[in-house]
Amino acid sequence: MNSLRLRLLVSLVGLLALAAVAMAAITYHNVLGETEKLFDYQLQQMALSLRDQGEIEPEQADTLADERLDVVIQIWTVDGRAIYASRPHASLPERALLGLATLTVDGRAWRTYGVATRDRVIQVAQPVDIRQRLAAHAAWRSVVPLLLTTPIAALAIWWLAARNLAPIERLAREVRTRDARSLAAVPADGLPDEIAPLASALNALLARLSSSLDSQRAFVADAAHELRSPLTALKLQLELLRRADDAETREAARIAIGEGIGRASRLVEQLLALARSEPDAVLPVERVDLAAVARQAIDDTTPFADSRSVSIALIAHGGACVKGDPVALNLLVRNLVDNAVRYSPTASRVEVRVRQQSGEVVLEVDDAGPGIPDAERERVFDRFYRRADAAGAGSGLGLAIVRSVASAHAATVRLGPSTLGGLSVSVSFPATP
Amino acid sequence: MRLLLVEDDRMIGDSLQRALRLEGFAVDWVRDATAADATLASERFDLVLLDLGLPRRSSGGPADGLDVLRALRARRDATPVIVVTARDARGDRVAGLDAGADDYIVKPFEFDELAARIRAVLRRHAGRGEPLLSHRGVTIDPAQRRVTRNGQPVVLSAREYAVLETLMARPGAVLSRAQLEDRLYGWGEEIESNAVSVYIHQLRKKLGADFIRNVRGVGYFIDTGAPER
Repeated sequence: MNSLRLRLLVSLVGLLALAAVAMAAITYHNVLGETEKLFDYQLQQMALSLRDQGEIEPEQADTLADERLDVVIQIWTVDGRAIYASRPHASLPERALLGLATLTVDGRAWRTYGVATRDRVIQVAQPVDIRQRLAAHAAWRSVVPLLLTTPIAALAIWWLAARNLAPIERLAREVRTRDARSLAAVPADGLPDEIAPLASALNALLARLSSSLDSQRAFVADAAHELRSPLTALKLQLELLRRADDAETREAARIAIGEGIGRASRLVEQLLALARSEPDAVLPVERVDLAAVARQAIDDTTPFADSRSVSIALIAHGGACVKGDPVALNLLVRNLVDNAVRYSPTASRVEVRVRQQSGEVVLEVDDAGPGIPDAERERVFDRFYRRADAAGAGSGLGLAIVRSVASAHAATVRLGPSTLGGLSVSVSFPATP
Repeated sequence: MRLLLVEDDRMIGDSLQRALRLEGFAVDWVRDATAADATLASERFDLVLLDLGLPRRSSGGPADGLDVLRALRARRDATPVIVVTARDARGDRVAGLDAGADDYIVKPFEFDELAARIRAVLRRHAGRGEPLLSHRGVTIDPAQRRVTRNGQPVVLSAREYAVLETLMARPGAVLSRAQLEDRLYGWGEEIESNAVSVYIHQLRKKLGADFIRNVRGVGYFIDTGAPER
């Protein structure tokens, strides 16, 4: 029984039925008490009127003997001889009890009233079951209207429940019309106070979902857009290879294609790295020695640095630990070192420093490259942003990845001028004891 | 035909320049909006291939390819422009064409298609509908770069062909040696002295001595049969 409406109906109709039963019991009880007194009074009056009257007229005797009169009248002389009985009633005792009494004769209960005069004893008796029947009847009559209204009440409850639950149904209908393309908020106007929080919680969820989907879509669109460049280059390089008519040109074209493929794969790798470092991606949190991560990242970058005759120095103090994901942190450091090497002039030096200061662990990467002017220091973090002077070899994602990983680690990234003459990037992590 | 290629991507620019040169075009290449703007303001090109997403060099200058295009048209310069870009949204295409582009091609494209569009735009710009240039029995097919004289194929070198195509584009118009050199060589290409005279000489040998005339001290033109000036 999972329907709220049905539950309401059953419990309310049940309550109604209980009320009807209780009402009937109380009425029965009350009516029985009342009629008891009334009937007793009637018995008394009848006995007293007979006493005062003296003889029973034959005509009156007929009336009293009527089968339909359930009161039985007996008159005895004072010495116990029966002189009158409205109905010769074998079952009643041949002896009167003065005053009110209840007695059982042959399994039938009687209520009797006896009164004595100088020469006679008069007893009026009435079967108790008649009284009870009358009381039950009265009780039943008081319950009937209640029972008659129950189906009407049930219908009313059914209708009222439907009416009150309609906002839920409306909300459900609204939610059903939502899909990945339309995540507009559901209208919360006119919702009852109990359902309004559900709608606002739903709307908050829809908003989060929508913004997350939007950023995913933007990411995919950006990625597709960015992939066009290396693909265009590759197509053109292939065209040149097709048209090359001497060995030297062909070889040059082959080398160019190799570079084009390298560039496309680097872009794809960086895109994947960025997708994995999105703040939504859950990062395993463990204690990570940042100096060790930096050493590893420098090792990874050394072949590239050697090819450009750039040397990388690591200046680190041990025990600079942060909380985070070692893989993502490696990605961060590698991107910074890779960028530094990429934009460094030949035979220059890149410095990587890891130090601890006032509750922070700071990673710094310095190079002797062209640096980044103030005006562009915010924009370089945008996805696919490439500076005008840049050689065009980068994917435009490096700093976006750095920022993404940093924000997942509650770290801040700052760009500034370096003592080496180029760019200094510093990433400040909250320290871990 | 001299083209200006405006493209910030080193790989694409380099390959495109090479491929277009193989097609016989003189190609100059600039890599940002500021340089494109300055070059277009000072030199004449037969056609511009314009990328839209360009890095901004200086503040206040043109921000991207569309700005370069608008500035060009604002100078009442009718040089044909083909937009070559990765922006494929309908809105971008409409904006590009409405800003004054003659055609729009989306990256990545097939080089054949780009070359065909360049020829088509040049043809339209010259006010011709037919793909072949024909004059006094000499016919050239710019798509195939094939030349015939009275139905017989004529073999020309790439430079000879370029000189002939330039002259045939506007029969009767006199072009100076410097103007012809401009159409033949991109920046940084070494110009052999007297080269134009040599190509004209070769063309006259192959197409008839009176096909190309010269006005002493002024330049060369294709004889239209009009009275000598």
